[in-house]
Amino acid sequence: MTAWETVWSYLPSLLLAAVTTVQITIGGFVLAVLLGLLCAVLQEFRSRAVNAVIAVYVDVFRAVPVLTQLFIIYFGLTEFGIRLDPVPAAIIGFGINGGAYLTEVFRAGIASVHHGQTEAAQMLGMRRLTVMRIVVLPQAMRIVLPPLGNFAIGLLKDTALASAVAAPELMFRARNLVDRTFLSSQIFIVTAAIYLAMSLPLGYLTRRAEVRVSRGQR
Amino acid sequence: MTWDIFADSLPELLVAAFATLQMTAAAFVVAAMLGLLLAILRLAGGWPGRLAFAYIELVRGTPALTLLFLVYFGLVPLGITLPAFSAAVTALGLNGAAYLAEVYRAGIQAVDKGQREAAQMIGLRRGKVMRHVVLPQALPAVLPPMANYLVSLLKETSIASLISAPELMLRSRDLAGTYYLPMEYYLIAGAMYLVMAWPMMQGARRLEQHFARGRLKGGRT
Repeated sequence: MTAWETVWSYLPSLLLAAVTTVQITIGGFVLAVLLGLLCAVLQEFRSRAVNAVIAVYVDVFRAVPVLTQLFIIYFGLTEFGIRLDPVPAAIIGFGINGGAYLTEVFRAGIASVHHGQTEAAQMLGMRRLTVMRIVVLPQAMRIVLPPLGNFAIGLLKDTALASAVAAPELMFRARNLVDRTFLSSQIFIVTAAIYLAMSLPLGYLTRRAEVRVSRGQR
Repeated sequence: MTWDIFADSLPELLVAAFATLQMTAAAFVVAAMLGLLLAILRLAGGWPGRLAFAYIELVRGTPALTLLFLVYFGLVPLGITLPAFSAAVTALGLNGAAYLAEVYRAGIQAVDKGQREAAQMIGLRRGKVMRHVVLPQALPAVLPPMANYLVSLLKETSIASLISAPELMLRSRDLAGTYYLPMEYYLIAGAMYLVMAWPMMQGARRLEQHFARGRLKGGRT
């Protein structure tokens, strides 16, 4: 068997690992969106203590490498007897890290919606959370969607770091196969191609969605 | 007692943090120069433009870690063995160039066409138009995202630990393993990254505010 034939025979195994990559990406994305949205909405209630906590969260988690955060969650917590499986640890790590970025994204989105919208809705007797949910957030989506799409693509690529905490995702499988076969160039090129095959359609979808939400604007 | 261990390992960690800064600076220079070349090629069009476009899309679509492994392990069968530190600088530089190329391109395209036309009218050659007229005016749109890129590059150098390049994260992992104090050492590493990234983040914010003054903000975030 030539080198490429060998790599070809491992393709199903790599694709199976890519499914785990997608799972970590989706899990991390959902957690990050929930956290980011929660923090951004809480900020709008203008409690000084709450906002200070959120500001520290946002700044600290954006200033520290996500790899360090993964190690703290996966290896650090073992000191307290908490042993997370690699995949949940990765999802939590990427989710908390991404939440800090998305807090800023959602905050900017909410700030972009004109005051008058909130005031008018309150005049109609809606409660603050209702105003947020059915008036402000849908309009904020226009601003939020492009950075949200970029975040999803960045996250997909970042999940490669989960290989460092032995999560059985694409990069981890690739490294194992390289250890076994020594076909480093071929296997990493195929791995890069699989990542590309996932991130390019995601980029395409993001652009399509941007066009859709900005339709009828200006 | 534990504190003695930390005090003992502090010099080691500081040396490693310095290596992280060196790696960041070197990769930044590679990315900034190669990125400019890519941006100019891409805007020039023709087959060099298409090639530059393909490179940018390819690199932006794959994880930096994959590129790093490709450079460090993937070149070995071809008889090219780079030291881990150089491999990290190369891979991070190649990766960053694709991002910065897009930043430059946006900046160059933001310069009014009339500027270029006027410069050509007074007889400047294309290279000179770029150097003296277009690029200086592109700076306000380029500098803030470049500063943000520098911050993310600083954090990204942590992945170099996965090919055992001597930097902060690798040293922290060694120490965490030696003393079995993972939480403490990774928190210390995190704090050291924070100390390095914080001034850069503030600088980036200042640049953004400075250049946002007096003109409408674009869609960039």
